[in-house]
Amino acid sequence: MPEHLGRTLSAMADAGIDALILGREGNARFVSGAERLALAGTRPFSPGCVIVRSTGRIHLMSITDAGIPADIGPDQLYSISWNPMTIAGNVAAIPGLAEVTTIGVDGMTPMMEAILTGILPDSTLVDGEAFLREVRRPKSAGDLDGIRRAVTAAEACLAATAAAVAPGITERALLGRFEATMGRLGITTPAFEAATCVAGTSPRSIVDDRELRKGDLVHLRGGVLVDGWEGRLTRTRAVDGATGPQQAAAERAATALGEAVAACRPGEVIAELRARPEVVDLAGVGLGHEELADDDALRPADVVFVEVLVDQVLLGDVVHVTESGPEILTTSPVDIT
Amino acid sequence: MTLTFDGPLDLARMRRERHARLVASMREDGIDALLLLGQANIAYATGLRVPASDQNLAIHRRPVALVTADGAVPHVWTWYPEGAPAELAPDHLHAGLSLEFDAGARTLASAVHDACPTGTLAVDELTMPLRAALTGRPVTDPSVCLGRAKLEKTPDELECIRRAQAINEAAIADVKAMVRPGVRGTELTGRFLERIFALGASANTVDPIWQAMPASIAEGPFSMTGDVVFPLCTTAEPFERGAVVWVDNGINYEGYGSDYGHTWIVGEAPDAVKRDQCARYRAVVDAVVEAIRPGVSARDLTRVAQQVEAGRRTPWLAHFYLAHGIGTDSAEPPFVGTDLGDDFDETVVLTPGNVLVLEPVIWDDGQSGFRAEDIVAVTDTGAEVLSNLEYSDYEG
Repeated sequence: MPEHLGRTLSAMADAGIDALILGREGNARFVSGAERLALAGTRPFSPGCVIVRSTGRIHLMSITDAGIPADIGPDQLYSISWNPMTIAGNVAAIPGLAEVTTIGVDGMTPMMEAILTGILPDSTLVDGEAFLREVRRPKSAGDLDGIRRAVTAAEACLAATAAAVAPGITERALLGRFEATMGRLGITTPAFEAATCVAGTSPRSIVDDRELRKGDLVHLRGGVLVDGWEGRLTRTRAVDGATGPQQAAAERAATALGEAVAACRPGEVIAELRARPEVVDLAGVGLGHEELADDDALRPADVVFVEVLVDQVLLGDVVHVTESGPEILTTSPVDIT
Repeated sequence: MTLTFDGPLDLARMRRERHARLVASMREDGIDALLLLGQANIAYATGLRVPASDQNLAIHRRPVALVTADGAVPHVWTWYPEGAPAELAPDHLHAGLSLEFDAGARTLASAVHDACPTGTLAVDELTMPLRAALTGRPVTDPSVCLGRAKLEKTPDELECIRRAQAINEAAIADVKAMVRPGVRGTELTGRFLERIFALGASANTVDPIWQAMPASIAEGPFSMTGDVVFPLCTTAEPFERGAVVWVDNGINYEGYGSDYGHTWIVGEAPDAVKRDQCARYRAVVDAVVEAIRPGVSARDLTRVAQQVEAGRRTPWLAHFYLAHGIGTDSAEPPFVGTDLGDDFDETVVLTPGNVLVLEPVIWDDGQSGFRAEDIVAVTDTGAEVLSNLEYSDYEG
């Protein structure tokens, strides 16, 4: 049995969850390994993946087995439909589902809740997102290999973007450079559209048509998904040479990043790490962004992205938390020129 | 260089008119407060922009909008304040909420209660903590209300779709020049994404598709429906000479989708069979466009398409449709020819301002097929084609 499915079924038994009905692609991909078409943005809940504990089987909404792992047979697929009642019928026909009482779901719509309650009247819905957040969190050696490959790819995309930084190029054109490099590396899925934004009062995530000018600092924050695994990093570049104060800020930022990374040890409380004055982002990294709760503490086998901002210099690395301390997975230099 | 456009576009007016349409639609359904978690719905209701990102990030950094039927300025919660429209007063713009945790969900539930203590509340989607925080408060589904508002596009919305499509087509012109035996779909994606941003796209919203099609369904991947399997994720597999590649991609301009579809033959001119398939696709599109006018039903359009291909397979994919709408969602009502069936299609009646993406498919099993996409707006008297597909490969 694939490792992620085994881990999920075991955790379902511990939590008393009889079935999972999942609408979120990251959750479905973790449990099944299936690669389906990537769409940006949020999508309303729809039952795209069902796991029944009593049978140990995964069922996926797909019109084909292309992209579906070989251990999931054609009898475990059900077709897409524009008719919610057809979808309900497909789900209701899944072996073992009629007998379940506790179902984890990772989102809901009022219409889908009415439909699910109709086909499974004796069941209770519980928070499957919170459940899977915990199951997805510890990274196996195989998971780490995936993340390392993605980090390497993200670094190559960012290096090509940094090489294009020059007076006159627009923020949007730099974003295009990041994604062009991604495609040349055989990757078509960004983790998010790269934020290649001129530094200002606070870091932006939405590019505009501003042209870079000599003396600007430009933030380069990019991420890619490789076989679903996320790699990302943030660096800052001075446009056409750094001034003395910019250079000094870069050194302070590098120090702050080093300190923030060093603090990523088992037992450290997430909220306290996020409250450090220089830290602007601390998030889990896995099959895409993985959320961490403020009141939780870091554990061995966590992988996190930590980002700091010092005097408009923005830097971020991916860190593997281990018993013996943090292992930085990002290798790109942090200098701004 | 960024594309320039002649058509007038006033984004503030567009947001104002959409909000008025949505409020009117809420009143029609007796909805007092509309809580929106879906990105495309929020974009429609408020004009809020967020960066395009993988669903995992999009979920955890999702914005929220609260629209009330009194017509007041909506409340917006976002992680990306730079994406807020200028007219949103600071006291209506709030910091982003973590709706996967109880604290964030309770904060939102409390704001909903303050804005609308007792009236009818509609919610497009719920996280499980938000569902718990709203316990005791009945919620209704706003799909009909949202669909009604979005169905008829304003002139500014149509201009956004026109521009999105023009950027898409201009980028495609550069990509197509790269197509030759040995090129990989992933390389086309890289070039395409580079070009759309250089041309002024706001975002890319779907992994671009360049799928090499089999000659027959049986030679392709396993099909659940027995029909042609499409779309598949792009791979790094090089294209062979003569490959029939179905292209499908959508980019975004100021919140609005585009939809480019075409069929490319790699490294050689289309033969007589492929030219005939293209001509049949165009005949279906021409007949459907000719039939489009206010008052015509979706069933009328499927009948027209079936008549053009009478005696052959239904000229669209069984798991999709003959046509879908487009707006802040890449596929939204009106839907034409889905598995909701002919009776449903009878109830879908076109009105001015509807936008349809026509995507007939001509498939001759054993000889592959032709698929493209044309975007059409319903006018007061007929139809205006918003896309501008290039067919020179197939002519002469």
